[in-house]
Amino acid sequence: MKNEKELRDAEVMAETNILRASIEKFLNWGRVHSFWPTSFGLACCAIEMASTGGARYCLARFGYEVFQASPRQADLMIVAGTLTRKMAPVARRIYDQMPEPKWAIAMGNCACSGGPFADSYAVVPGADSIIPIDVYIPGCPPRPESLIFGMLQLKQKIQNPAKARLIKYGK
Amino acid sequence: MVSDSLRARVGELAARVNGEVEESLGVLELTVNHSDAIEALNGAKNLVDVPCDFLHDLCGMDLEDHLEVVYQLSSLRGAQRLRIIARVERDNPVIDSATRFWKGADFLEREAFDMFGIQFKGHPNLKRIYMWDDFEGYPMRKDYVIESHEQRAIMRVRKEGE
Repeated sequence: MKNEKELRDAEVMAETNILRASIEKFLNWGRVHSFWPTSFGLACCAIEMASTGGARYCLARFGYEVFQASPRQADLMIVAGTLTRKMAPVARRIYDQMPEPKWAIAMGNCACSGGPFADSYAVVPGADSIIPIDVYIPGCPPRPESLIFGMLQLKQKIQNPAKARLIKYGK
Repeated sequence: MVSDSLRARVGELAARVNGEVEESLGVLELTVNHSDAIEALNGAKNLVDVPCDFLHDLCGMDLEDHLEVVYQLSSLRGAQRLRIIARVERDNPVIDSATRFWKGADFLEREAFDMFGIQFKGHPNLKRIYMWDDFEGYPMRKDYVIESHEQRAIMRVRKEGE
């Protein structure tokens, strides 16, 4: 009954060219189709990241091709490579400089968990101890398809915030 | 291949600096004590006919009972190569700097200092090159204990001008 009434109301609104929807939903729809990643390449993963942006894999198909040199114009940080302890404060600073809303992807084994260097004196065992990470992409380095898949997973996560929360807390 | 003239010249040099000569992997190795290292390097740089006057690498080594500094020498004026190994005490790792002969030894010695804690006397700017300044310990030494996983996950505070 209630649903019918809503539809009737919507019809009346549509006649007067007014569309009512959740603004957050609309903004998220915009955001997921135009991530502006900041290019934070730390090691060999950056080569795969660059190749993802190139003509063969063409990240631009999804609208994500604007790799920004400045974190102030970006909303996604791809931590691509080994995060050393000397670099960690710099990484955090760059993340802090990004405007909200912002997300972070850990690309490659090193950024996920330290990878082969997990026991090294100089390496942070996982970028998630410095930066809150949304999507982890394993691989050494991950292929461009993996990075694209990871970014599409992030798209799903942002489009369905309630669902992502449920998966996170296992309900 | 080690030429006869190089072998003869290095033999003379070894007698002068109380060193031992060995051949390893086709390269002559001259092992000396740290007090004679600078004399040996000077001699090797000015060997007659076969000068080994180009320092193409310098690194530290840890042999548990003592440390070593390894100088890899070659030349732009011939095919001769020479490796000079200087033994350094573990408790008091001090050796004279090679920067007086080769300006390029600057960063290489800083690396050896960073990783092994070898003090190079007469070095113009002896401080850490890879690790940050307040890092404790010398990570390439055999007895270095790596900090725990939890400790390494803590973000250190960056200093301005680092």
